[in-house]
Amino acid sequence: MTAEVLLTAGATAGSGAVEAPPTLAEQAAAAGLAVRATGAWPESTVDTKPPGLPGFVVSTFSPLVAEAASRCLTRAGDLAERTAIVLCSPLGDVTSAVHVAHAVDTGARVGPLLFFQSVPNAVAGHLAAQWGLTGPVACLGSAAGGLDLAALLIADGSADEALVVLAQQGEPDRATAVLVAPVTEGDGS
Amino acid sequence: MSPVVTGVAAVSAFGRGADALLAGALAGTPAFRPVERFDVTGRRVGVAATMAGSPDLGTELAGAVDDACADAELTGPARAGSALLLAVHGDPALARAAEADRPRHSADALAHRIADACGLSGPVRAYTSACVAASTAVADAAATIALGRAERIVVAAGYLVEPDQFALFDAGRALATDGRVRPFSDGRTGLLLGDGIAAIVVESADAARGRGAPVLARIPGWGRAGDAYHVVQPRPDGAGLSAAIRGALDRAGVAAGDVGYVNAHGSGTPQSDAAETAGLYAGLGDAAAGVPVSSTKSTHGQALEASGLLELVITILALRAGRLPVNAGFLGRDAQCPLDVISDGPRAASPAYALSVNSAFGGAHTALLVGAA
Repeated sequence: MTAEVLLTAGATAGSGAVEAPPTLAEQAAAAGLAVRATGAWPESTVDTKPPGLPGFVVSTFSPLVAEAASRCLTRAGDLAERTAIVLCSPLGDVTSAVHVAHAVDTGARVGPLLFFQSVPNAVAGHLAAQWGLTGPVACLGSAAGGLDLAALLIADGSADEALVVLAQQGEPDRATAVLVAPVTEGDGS
Repeated sequence: MSPVVTGVAAVSAFGRGADALLAGALAGTPAFRPVERFDVTGRRVGVAATMAGSPDLGTELAGAVDDACADAELTGPARAGSALLLAVHGDPALARAAEADRPRHSADALAHRIADACGLSGPVRAYTSACVAASTAVADAAATIALGRAERIVVAAGYLVEPDQFALFDAGRALATDGRVRPFSDGRTGLLLGDGIAAIVVESADAARGRGAPVLARIPGWGRAGDAYHVVQPRPDGAGLSAAIRGALDRAGVAAGDVGYVNAHGSGTPQSDAAETAGLYAGLGDAAAGVPVSSTKSTHGQALEASGLLELVITILALRAGRLPVNAGFLGRDAQCPLDVISDGPRAASPAYALSVNSAFGGAHTALLVGAA
């Protein structure tokens, strides 16, 4: 873990800026990683609502993650044999959490689909299945921690590359994704 | 040189202290009881393995970190540079906090509060990856230390049974309808939730030796891998778990036949236990049929993000005690789970190596290899 990354990440994690993709990529570079591709939602004014994800209800969290990640992975082309998924979100799927708490407090029914999306692992599993990613799956609270972990998994030999996604719900909902790889000669570093 | 564990602490439905947890796991008497902490009217199932009252997660976590540091004979100055890796579902207050206050209730904010309270001034990271959150954190701590990037890391994890996750697991029909968790058994019906708080101190062997610290166990191998299969279901052939197990064994240079105990994930749900059995066979080969296996969730319950650490503490202490914990609630062998399940009482054994494995939604799997000190 590098203190530098922990310090620089606070700015992204706490700000309400929409133009986040370069920032996560810059943080990845600062963590000593090569950025193979990036993706985000929204990327332009055309992005008003993330595409729905079958099986996921109530909340934009998983759709946001899936769309940003899919854009990133589509742009990346060929994927490494073992790609890790590192999903970072300061508050997790807070919309679903608030929905469930309200249902519990008012005695309303809790739908069974909410069980499956009760942890951020679920959408990570969706991405792993869709893209054939067999590396480690981890969910963390901050982008800084996520990029540190991606670097660790690669250095440790546990993954060849890592998809790091940062998702935050609010005004507006937003997610950014980077596919990171070890820096090799010729990357200019 | 393998990373070592120099201190452990735990709080569970068996009471305060890692020794109480081990005693409960060895006795094999489940701690499940009717839930009194919140209203379970209308739920299909109304039991969990809970402590008395409504303990506070942050307070309990800070207490466990202090206890683990004391167990490791870590004084104030030695604690200061330590990192904290915390595995939690999240801050329990988040879902009912005013919108403007939510950032104060992030998982990282909770981790920072605990680090501050315990005098840990190194980097802080919160893990929220469901049932592999804690075991992933341990693997990452071991990897960080093995790479020489840190001398000492405290890993803590906690889940206290609360109404929201209880309602979700009930709605998902994941809870055992007969009030018992019966991992790998014929007739198993599901899981039951349980309170679990645990903390350990992981450090480099040199650092431990340098300060004359007690070494409780070594962590010579670790593996983490994914199924690439489904949103929540494990891959039936156990490919991800097997990759995690092989990763742990290969890293340590230990043969499958040298593993003398497996503390299984063993959730007690029909599909998950069958997939785990397939993963154990794929990862351990022929040795899978003969290695003693138990899932201690059958006694302390499923502590979600904290389960992996609770089970690692049990595994470490069981190796030291020379007795392997019981897989309670076992009714009879299931054809899909042909394992040597420790069902009749604690088994006397002092293996050189044990595996603690965990699996989670998203097809995430971990394997931690524990070496006797």
